[in-house]
Amino acid sequence: MTAPDRVSAPSFKVLVVDDDPDMQRLLALMIRAEGMQADTADDGDAALERAALTPPDLILLDVMLPGIDGFTVCERLKRNPATAMIPIVLITGLEDRASRVRGIRAGADDFLSKPVQREELLARVHTLRRLHETRRELEENRKETLRRTFDRYLSPRLVGSIMADLEAGISPFERTPQRVDVVVLFADLRGFTRLTERTQVDGVVALLNEYFEVLTEAAYRHDGTIFSMAGDNLLVGFNVPFPQPEAAALAWRAAHDMAASARPVLERWAGRGMTTGVGFGLASGDVILGNIGSSHYMNYTIIGDAVNVAARLVELAQPGELLVSGTVLKAAGQKAEGRGMLPLRGRSEPVDVYSVML
Amino acid sequence: MDVPHYTVTVARDLEDLIPAFMSNRRKELDTLRVALAAADFEQLRQLGHRMKGVGNSYGFSHVSTLGKHIEEGARSGDRAALEARIGEYAEYLAKVQIVFE
Repeated sequence: MTAPDRVSAPSFKVLVVDDDPDMQRLLALMIRAEGMQADTADDGDAALERAALTPPDLILLDVMLPGIDGFTVCERLKRNPATAMIPIVLITGLEDRASRVRGIRAGADDFLSKPVQREELLARVHTLRRLHETRRELEENRKETLRRTFDRYLSPRLVGSIMADLEAGISPFERTPQRVDVVVLFADLRGFTRLTERTQVDGVVALLNEYFEVLTEAAYRHDGTIFSMAGDNLLVGFNVPFPQPEAAALAWRAAHDMAASARPVLERWAGRGMTTGVGFGLASGDVILGNIGSSHYMNYTIIGDAVNVAARLVELAQPGELLVSGTVLKAAGQKAEGRGMLPLRGRSEPVDVYSVML
Repeated sequence: MDVPHYTVTVARDLEDLIPAFMSNRRKELDTLRVALAAADFEQLRQLGHRMKGVGNSYGFSHVSTLGKHIEEGARSGDRAALEARIGEYAEYLAKVQIVFE
């Protein structure tokens, strides 16, 4: 055993399960002498309880225990998804071949004979520790890859929620759609389609990437969740997927930040003869949130009246203008110039609309 | 029968565990005697099995050897052999010297 190994080991926890106090103390001492943590249990029930409450990284489990024996403990731990990955070393009699066969069937990862030889114990523990750490590293890499993949499409908060779901064994794409109160912010590049008629395809993509880069960063700064980018149009939700008591204020600030962040980009474009501006629409209300689509194509999205109202408002907004519903304006505690009750396409009731130039 | 080594060398870092270990062996001896008097062969077998496992784990190979014989004697119900082994155990525990290094 080398010094660096000892230094890297302290977080490794071993649960020693043996009803013989002398064996229990001896095994725990040998583990601790290697810089690892050792916890102990006197019987099978205590072992199961300990493993469920504070899962160890490895279990040394005697087969002969009072009450439920070591084989049964091993089987139960291996059947439970929460503890199935914990390596288990079964401790059996030296010539007890039958116990080893039973142990293999119970899912034991390795065996140790009594009387216990220190070198053998440590060799087995270190081998399983390395395997365990490699497995954990692979699992972390897998999660990181997944996180990086999601990060390109979803807000960090939504990625966090999805990762938590995955760790709990829930597929984020199987979530039941739910009705939630959402503040919806639309941003739209005015006259962009006209500009693209005079620009090469590569150029259009570069322009949009530049524009969406600053807008998404601004949206994330205010904890918005981006639901879609369609053409030059950006849909951001607040109060989803987590409750945000200040959702209206966050959305209001996000719109201002997005406008300010887009300004240098728009000025550069203007310098190249492409004059355009961003309009914003902001509304709130109940929407349905969920994965909507087919088994081949799905969108984590929001649908409902608030989305339609915000979409109509952004259509009406001039470059640099934010059109906001009275409800959101009031909730955000802000003031703006009243535009009166405006009829909106596809909606029977007019909406109380306010305007502010950003 | 193996010749017992009355001097046992134990790793220095196990020193703190030895008083409890020796105390438990002496209690074990008493329990063995009671079990033999009661002709409780199942308990004798279990005690022998435990001695076999714990003895050499601490470096006391003779405890393991005696444990093996007691376990076998209990299985075959050989009272005389058990009595002899338990006697040897008593003598061993009385004479054993421990060196830490």
